[in-house]
Amino acid sequence: MKQITCVGTAALGCPGGSQTRLKVVLAFLALVLLLCLPSFAADAPQVHFDTSHIGPRQMEDVTGRNIPRDWGRAWQTLAIALEQNRPDLLGRYFSGFAQQKLAATIATQLKTGLRTRYIDHGHKLAAYFYSPDGGALELHDTADLEIQVFDGNDLVHSDRVTLHYIGLMTPAADHWEVRLLESVPSF
Amino acid sequence: MRGILPAVCLAVCLMTAPSLAAQDLQLPATIAAGSELTIPTSGSGAATFYLIGPSYLAKRQVQLGQEIHIQPREVRSAGRYTAVLRGGGSSQSGSFYVVAAKPASLSFLAHPSRIPVAQRDGVIGVAFVFDKWHNLVRRPETVDFRLAAKDAPPVAQSVRSRDGVAWILMNSAHKAGNAKFVAALDGIEETRVIQQVAADPCHLQIRAERNAKGVLVQTAPVRDCSGNPVSDGTIVTFTANGPQGLSTVDVPIKKDIAQAELRILGPATISVASGVVMGNEVKVGGQQ
Repeated sequence: MKQITCVGTAALGCPGGSQTRLKVVLAFLALVLLLCLPSFAADAPQVHFDTSHIGPRQMEDVTGRNIPRDWGRAWQTLAIALEQNRPDLLGRYFSGFAQQKLAATIATQLKTGLRTRYIDHGHKLAAYFYSPDGGALELHDTADLEIQVFDGNDLVHSDRVTLHYIGLMTPAADHWEVRLLESVPSF
Repeated sequence: MRGILPAVCLAVCLMTAPSLAAQDLQLPATIAAGSELTIPTSGSGAATFYLIGPSYLAKRQVQLGQEIHIQPREVRSAGRYTAVLRGGGSSQSGSFYVVAAKPASLSFLAHPSRIPVAQRDGVIGVAFVFDKWHNLVRRPETVDFRLAAKDAPPVAQSVRSRDGVAWILMNSAHKAGNAKFVAALDGIEETRVIQQVAADPCHLQIRAERNAKGVLVQTAPVRDCSGNPVSDGTIVTFTANGPQGLSTVDVPIKKDIAQAELRILGPATISVASGVVMGNEVKVGGQQ
């Protein structure tokens, strides 16, 4: 839907006529561009999911499709919430310790005036432990990230890194939630 | 000479720039959560120090040449921390990992909460090991699982955790009743209660006697194969097959037995079943 919006607005870029019309069109384009930019930045990252080393329970096909979808959406949420200091966004895909820690991050960002931006270049996600009752899933994620830290508008630090994360997901009503997210030196 | 000078300047700049940019802070590779950390600095003058962690960010003014002290409360969450020092026109940075401290809590998932007796591998226990700051303890730890029912010896087994998780499958006991399912590690205990209920009926037995209204059929006390009384409300089906056709009555067990009055006048064969379990058959003659 976001892409369609942007393609549609590009087609509107047909300057001509009076200066007023041109200004209106430019203002409209600027507005649409502003609306589009965050959505582009917030696209869900690519997630490659591997279940070949899972145990003790095997993963059902539907779950195998939902896990990478929800993992990607969780990372998308994380990036937006940290960049915009929006703890209210976290509840959809994070719960428990993961939500508490991310909320604490946002609280200290607000306190210090620092801000973190995650530019997500994709994830190699592997299911590691799937509990026999299907109630908990431990994952190993190798994430390709660019992490930028701003002090106000000043870029303090930028890092393109490959990080290892351990994640714990549990099922919610219609999706899976991240309950734990920790970066680790190695698997 | 005029032409050479800019080239020399450029060369010097190119040589020094990478060394400035590449300056790294002296940091340990890993520290335990809640530890104190000291970072040495060099040079002189004021600088700004940044610490960016998984649940904590800090910014403070420091003096170059003096040590930077990271308080234990600043590194409670496990994960990757980035330290940045900016001052005197240069920037130094580095990263380190905080790993979980010693185990302090268990997140124990027990499933199911209610289970029939004598179920092989029917009780599932999953324990995640955390330190006092809710960091997953990844190094192997021995978690003791214990399933104890009343008037029966407890069943216990130890499992080494892998990547923070230990799990087990256990058999439910032969005797119905509440069982305590415990996960324990170094004095930390988490208890869940598993309700063990009678399994499916076993050896259904009925007797039938004719009365004025028809035939009264009644089961003997219904028990599972371990001898536990089957729960009240379990449905028992009586089927009568005679010249008048087939008639079926479903009745719940009440106080260990199920009974029904079948309005049959002629001779009939009456059978009983509950779930997938069949009982005996009795034949009754026609009413005189």
